[in-house]
Amino acid sequence: MDKPSHLSIVLDLSPKQWHLAAQPGSPHPITLATFLSHLLAFLNAHIACKDENSLAIFGALPGKSILLYSSAAPVDDGDTEPADANTYRPFKLMDSIIMKSITREIDALGEPETEEPIGFVGALTKALCYINRVTTSNTTSGDRGVDPATLPDPRILIISVSPDQSSSYISVMNSIFSAQKLASFDLFYQKVTIDVCKIFGAESVFLQQAAHLTGGSYIDVDRPDALLQYLMMSFLAPPGLRQLITVPTQDKIDFRAACFCHKNIVDIAFICSVCLSIFCSPVPVCSTCRTKFPIKTLQRLNASRPNTTPGTPRPPTPANSLPRSTSIAPQSLPRSTSIVPQSLPRNASNGASTLR
Amino acid sequence: MPSSTLTAKASYKKLPGTLELTSTHLQWTQDGKKAPSIRIPHVEAASLFCSKEGAAQVRLKIGLVSDDAGHNFTFLAPQPVAVTEREKFKTELTNIIGVNRRGPNTPSVVPSPITPVLAQQSSNAPSSRPAIPMSRSSTSRAPSVAASDSRRTGTPMSDPTSDYQLRIRVLLSNPELAALHRELVMSRQITENEFWEGREHILLAQAAQESQRKGKSGQLVDPRPQTVDGEIKIVITPQLKLDIFEEYPVVKKAFEENVDKKLSEPEFWHRYFQSKLFNAHRASIRSSAAQHVVRDDPIFDKYLEKDDDELEPRRLREDRVDIFIDLGATLEDHGETGNDKDVTMQAGKQRAVLPLIRKFNEHSGRLLDSVLGEGPTKRRRIEGRMEERYSQLDLEDLHDNQSAAGIALNMGDSKRYFEGRSGDASQAAGPIDVKATIHEAKTNLQGWSANLIQLKIDKKAGDTALSEMTQNVAARLDVKLRKEDIPEVVYGQMMACQTAANEFLRQFWLAIYPPPSDLPTASAATPAQKAAKATKMIAYLDQMSEKVNALAFAATQSGVDGTKIRTAMKPVLDAVEKATTFWRARNSAAAPAPHRR
Repeated sequence: MDKPSHLSIVLDLSPKQWHLAAQPGSPHPITLATFLSHLLAFLNAHIACKDENSLAIFGALPGKSILLYSSAAPVDDGDTEPADANTYRPFKLMDSIIMKSITREIDALGEPETEEPIGFVGALTKALCYINRVTTSNTTSGDRGVDPATLPDPRILIISVSPDQSSSYISVMNSIFSAQKLASFDLFYQKVTIDVCKIFGAESVFLQQAAHLTGGSYIDVDRPDALLQYLMMSFLAPPGLRQLITVPTQDKIDFRAACFCHKNIVDIAFICSVCLSIFCSPVPVCSTCRTKFPIKTLQRLNASRPNTTPGTPRPPTPANSLPRSTSIAPQSLPRSTSIVPQSLPRNASNGASTLR
Repeated sequence: MPSSTLTAKASYKKLPGTLELTSTHLQWTQDGKKAPSIRIPHVEAASLFCSKEGAAQVRLKIGLVSDDAGHNFTFLAPQPVAVTEREKFKTELTNIIGVNRRGPNTPSVVPSPITPVLAQQSSNAPSSRPAIPMSRSSTSRAPSVAASDSRRTGTPMSDPTSDYQLRIRVLLSNPELAALHRELVMSRQITENEFWEGREHILLAQAAQESQRKGKSGQLVDPRPQTVDGEIKIVITPQLKLDIFEEYPVVKKAFEENVDKKLSEPEFWHRYFQSKLFNAHRASIRSSAAQHVVRDDPIFDKYLEKDDDELEPRRLREDRVDIFIDLGATLEDHGETGNDKDVTMQAGKQRAVLPLIRKFNEHSGRLLDSVLGEGPTKRRRIEGRMEERYSQLDLEDLHDNQSAAGIALNMGDSKRYFEGRSGDASQAAGPIDVKATIHEAKTNLQGWSANLIQLKIDKKAGDTALSEMTQNVAARLDVKLRKEDIPEVVYGQMMACQTAANEFLRQFWLAIYPPPSDLPTASAATPAQKAAKATKMIAYLDQMSEKVNALAFAATQSGVDGTKIRTAMKPVLDAVEKATTFWRARNSAAAPAPHRR
């Protein structure tokens, strides 16, 4: 395995989530400072593995995403670090550039009242674009003599502390599909592997799917105080090596999807037969492709909706007592004619109780 | 078929009696009794066997559709009379069987060989071996199938999904389904109809498959001599006889004019196969091995026609030969490109093949006619213009479907999909001072260099992480290395349990959910029936977990790890659990409903 390895890291830098992660209440708290030490050590290891290994770091900050570091960027000469007898100078340089960018971006956040959702999808998309550039720029420049073996073997590592934003479901899935298709111009088919390291917070449905669909590894870190151990064992080996070195991953994957109408994560959904859009309840008109569904179908689907929560009673016997039951249970499903994708609040409250 | 009754003295099971052939039945009455003890309807007649000519007893055996063993009759009259009588019966019964055979629902019957006819080398000595049947219809299906076919004609079923015989045949061809059927239906856990509900498509497919019938074989009639024990002979079956008559009307004419007047039937065939006429009817010019035995025959030579090898075929068709089956059509191909005449494909370059080509053309034409039916074919040929021909060549399947551009996905308000409502789930964590968190982050970024130098992993945490990940990898490795060590018996029980549970689940959800389409199905159940069915299925499903426990226990008894069984059955139990939870929730929701009214 002589190919160089390119690593793009998507770094979740939500101050609020890091604040929560550092709370002494959690079993194994980790502060941002500790995390960054572990991360820098891991990055140095990656660079040290092979001369040609490259690195790009994308920060997902509240409301924005940005490239924090790229090993391809020329080193600013004015950026002089005092020599350090304990550290290999290129490492020192890289570390300081990364830390400076992070500091700069955190400073740039100012003092807002509320924290915006992090620009995770933006960072992921930028990482994919970056990989696309480094893996194909050589071949498109007209130089036919480029040996594909010298092109880097790309992968993405997502380090996440934030919960899923179900609103970004479609964009995340689109990114996953792009990752699957990327680099297929190469001589042999090879997708961009997405690894996920979940340090804090609930399990992420989307990231599990991302890792699974791209052949990556999803690690839910149990002991964040030993984060470096996880990083080294699971994420240092490039995908090409993983046929020989088995890396840990999660066996269980949550394959649920988020509905397009309310962005709820749903167990059972209603799929548009034309465009495959996902809805949490039957709709008369598909909001994506404007396909109209027959009213009979809607009634049938509504009559059969599985609703296991006791809070929303279903009619005892279907079909014949349907009109009565709607009056009995005002909370239950609206009649099909009144279902519109915008009827958010009621269903959202129902949905939240059904989902988890 | 003459309506007059044929009668002959014949014994059945060594009892003397009278054999009669009426217009509807073949019947036998014991002497001294009034009512016939055997009555066989014509449609039942499937095959016919005769004793050899010259045998001590003149016997006739008739095989029935429902009973292959059939009935044996021995003609009691003195030898020559008995033979004549038998021949009469034979002729009539052959016709009847022929009709039966062409009948729509009795597709195949065991061919009935009659006495061997020709023995070329050793004069007319009758062969001592049983005749080898030689028939075009090589489809010989099991008698049971034929029987079920006939039963089906007796009681016509309009709906294939409720056809019992059809179900049996589906089960026979699908062992896995049969196993499930045995498990559930035979043990009366679910009814036959329930089992097939939702599986209608399998039945329909089977019915469609069975309703396809084999057409007429395209082979040219070509009786070939077989060498048996050093004798060359041609075995004549009634089927072959019919085929020859159909293919060569002149033979039929000769047969009608000569047999029973100048020649007996065996004699007729004997001479025919040695005649020039037969030689002219050969399907191939190469098979001239028997030519030295061809001799002049005053009877058959009368029917001999001149070889059809003139420039113009003797029998000009009233309609033109379809260009796609005319072997002479390529005679002057490629004319427009300036090529020479296509000598390689020149029909009739060798004169001797001309009759053969024309024979083939006629045969193909006849075959096509019989398949297409007379009416439309004629019209098609008369209108045979150029465009018409191209349209015949134009196969829809070969068209490039470029025109199908697909339906463009016209996303309305696409922006909406990529913007979500801001801050959904994370709000629950309680009020957090955002400014403080940002400040905290900033302080965390200070002194990173010193932090990095002092980085040290807590030994215990590191060990925990390491062992955790090692276990993760080891577990997968273990699965890879693990051999299949569940005994066949236990495994089979697990499979049975799993398929049964699946079937119960299928039935349950089928009762809960509406049918997959709006189309009214034959088995549409009323809500009450559905509810009853769901209740029944839930009762079965409730037992599943006990069953799995019992299975695991039994497995432990036979030395298998019970947890292994439980792990394997877990997904099924999860699905069962889901159904029961759903059922309970629905019932508990249903209970208070009347009070709220």
